[in-house]
Amino acid sequence: MPLSKLWTIAYRDLGRHRRRSIFTLLAVGLGLGLLLVMDGLISGVVADSLANSIRLRTGHVQLRADSFQEDQLSLQAKDLLANPDELAAKAKELSEVKAAAPVLWSSVILNTIDQSAGLQLMGIDTTSALYDPIRSGVTAGEWLSPDDRDGILIGRVLAEELGVSAGQKVNLTVVNSDGRPDEGTFTIRGLFSTGIPGYDQSAVFMPLDKAQAFTGSSGRASLVMILLNNQNDANKVAAALSAPGVAALTWSDLNKFFVETMGTAMSFYVILDFIVILIVAVIIVNTLLMSVFERVREMGILAALGMKGRQIRVMFLLEAATLALIGIAVGLIIGAAGVWYLATTGIPIGDKMAAVAGSNFALSATMYGRFEPISFLNLSLATLIVVVLASLYPAFYASRLEPIKALHEQ
Amino acid sequence: MAIIELVNATRTYELGEVKTHALNGVSLMFEPGEFTALVGPSGSGKTTLLQLIGCLDRPDGGTVKINGQDVSRFSANQRADLRRKEIGFVFQFFALVPVLSAYENVELPLLLSNVKTQERKERVTELLKAVGLSDRAKHRPDQLSGGEQQRVAIARALAPRPLMILADEPTANLDTENGKQAMDIMQRLNQETGTAFIFATHDPRVVAYARRVVKLRDGRVDSNGASA
Repeated sequence: MPLSKLWTIAYRDLGRHRRRSIFTLLAVGLGLGLLLVMDGLISGVVADSLANSIRLRTGHVQLRADSFQEDQLSLQAKDLLANPDELAAKAKELSEVKAAAPVLWSSVILNTIDQSAGLQLMGIDTTSALYDPIRSGVTAGEWLSPDDRDGILIGRVLAEELGVSAGQKVNLTVVNSDGRPDEGTFTIRGLFSTGIPGYDQSAVFMPLDKAQAFTGSSGRASLVMILLNNQNDANKVAAALSAPGVAALTWSDLNKFFVETMGTAMSFYVILDFIVILIVAVIIVNTLLMSVFERVREMGILAALGMKGRQIRVMFLLEAATLALIGIAVGLIIGAAGVWYLATTGIPIGDKMAAVAGSNFALSATMYGRFEPISFLNLSLATLIVVVLASLYPAFYASRLEPIKALHEQ
Repeated sequence: MAIIELVNATRTYELGEVKTHALNGVSLMFEPGEFTALVGPSGSGKTTLLQLIGCLDRPDGGTVKINGQDVSRFSANQRADLRRKEIGFVFQFFALVPVLSAYENVELPLLLSNVKTQERKERVTELLKAVGLSDRAKHRPDQLSGGEQQRVAIARALAPRPLMILADEPTANLDTENGKQAMDIMQRLNQETGTAFIFATHDPRVVAYARRVVKLRDGRVDSNGASA
């Protein structure tokens, strides 16, 4: 018997109980749509956070002294690069490199008249393209010039918390490379906003020369930060620039904690996917079983006419596949609409909430979704496969009915 | 040669600890083109006999041969094949597939036998005409009267040109007029096609159509019913 005719019976049977069929395919659609929206949101947040981290914190490749520990921000000579300008120049010669510049990191305390905050000082080459995102995010005052001897830049969020504004003077305290405390008065030259409250709250920028002088680290830098044209070239560039005493770390090494944490979170999410798909499958099985129980005599008739068990199985599997496919189409529409909304409008979570994520998670104040075609494909296929597998039971049940018993069913 | 041969066929049903001997050593032969009524009181074994002949059930003992083949040992698939090719059924409750039109119901056995499109179309049109339902071809069962449904069932049973048609109380759910109409059609088609008709019935008006009457009582053949 042609498959098309079996399908005709299968899909017409769905029309017998329209309301039930509509609710069933809505369950499939809503389940899949929910997963697609959640997946789109999580993918968006993860991708956005990683991109933010690379853009603002890590770059694609970093060159550091072997002994440098990021969490300690040491200023001791042995932990710093002695020739950062040479390394940056060498990096810039590579065609894969978009920008490279030395950076000096240090812990500082910023004091106002009545408040203080522990911050990360970043002594930067203010002319480098590395800082384009921050330069374009200056919301008040002005960007730092390389020869500025007493200017700093702080985040708008921090300024609001401390009650300071551009043009005001503040004190910075640092424990310099000799291990002695030092203090200086600086003028807030401008305020910046990157859209990452956690970052804006914790960073203070200063021209590299001044930072080196302030911390007693003349000519040295914590690292050379490198931005690439294509992040897939990170390993190649790291290999080309690694040298004795110099560690070349890629963006994946530098965001390891974030990537691993997200990997763990995603595996929980896969479990959630599975649970939702399983619920959808149970609904489909329930619908099909009801359909089988209502049509026992009909199965007997078909068997009496010579229809084989295999054909009856195929008929029910086609019925399940039809329900699943229409449900998947509904789910794709719901999912696409939801992800489109999240990708264009996003969910504002506010500065404070975003800042709670801490400095390891460069979470934006608005969470944006991201359209992931592969997740649409995977989840649709998974739904179809699970539904068809789950339908095997009712299909086998129907195909194994004894014709004689089935014919006598009322 | 007999198309159906039962030799000492028995069938026992168990309901808990109670055993019911529905058929108890039945031996019968049916020839091609017969128009035979199986009669007897309720519980005499008429329906069970039809089920064994129709390969819907298997005997516990004895043999059932269709066209010389012992079908007692056939697998489920072999029995399905035999039903599809050689046996048509007409049931008391009409037994049409509710989601298919009259045309599609008649076409169904031909589709199961992979008959080609043009031949299928000609056969279905011819059969619907034969049962007087050409103008009702597109109607679904719930749009047809009981008599019309039974006529569609007769057309469907004849579609694959079977060796025999087995009808279990074919007029039980029909009024007198429709019952007569159904029997007239079956009698005419039996004469025109040479297909054997074997029907179980209580109805004396139906029995009157039969050329042979087999009487059953308590699962045994009471009267073999020589052809009239």
